[in-house]
Amino acid sequence: MPSIILRDTILQGNINQKDSITIDGVVVGDITADEIIVNMTADIKGNLIAVHNLETAGKVTGNLSSNKIHINNTAKIKGQIKTSNLKVDEGAQLEVQALTNINKK
Amino acid sequence: MFFKSTKKNGNEVDGFSHLGESFKFEGEIDCKGEIEIAGQIKGSIKAKKLRILETGKVRGFVYAEELEILGYMNGNAETNSVHVGPQGILKGNLIFQKSLSVLEGANLTCRVQKIRNNVKMEDTDKIKYLEHNQLASKK
Repeated sequence: MPSIILRDTILQGNINQKDSITIDGVVVGDITADEIIVNMTADIKGNLIAVHNLETAGKVTGNLSSNKIHINNTAKIKGQIKTSNLKVDEGAQLEVQALTNINKK
Repeated sequence: MFFKSTKKNGNEVDGFSHLGESFKFEGEIDCKGEIEIAGQIKGSIKAKKLRILETGKVRGFVYAEELEILGYMNGNAETNSVHVGPQGILKGNLIFQKSLSVLEGANLTCRVQKIRNNVKMEDTDKIKYLEHNQLASKK
């Protein structure tokens, strides 16, 4: 079952999930999952590592790495992005270093 | 006029957070609303309403107004009302204020204690408090 963390919840510590995880709340710590979806109200301080897909519309401070990353227009990201497939919407606020050629042959 | 306002305060959220079966977490959780745990948690949890599902495993301190244990819990719990389901396992200390319900089949290996709702201030304490306030305001 996928997990969902609503915006009234604060988590401090590392998360390890084999499924998909949706975050609306505050997380301080690293997140590892198959798929990570960060919503608009979320605030994350830590590294996000997704295997397949990472979608973010919230505030993230830390490194992002995934096979596919989609950054929505409300996102605020500070850190490093590692992916082979990056999509950034108009209006996203980034302060990042992006590496987008890993795993590509 | 015709409709009751269903608007809630900005901080309140409809629904509850759910931590799935493959969720593993080590650390602190602070939830102002309702949370449901089916995964494995190590650490302290503070919530208004906490439900540990059949597959859920919690180790650590739990503070919740309403606590429902259908899975496994090891550690100290402080709560207003607690419900332990038929497959519930509870180890550690349990302190509750209002109500406790345990269904047939539950496995409790713990010390259970009921404490008074609110300890009322004694009159002498009140007087001392007022005097202290007066002194403080004079300064």
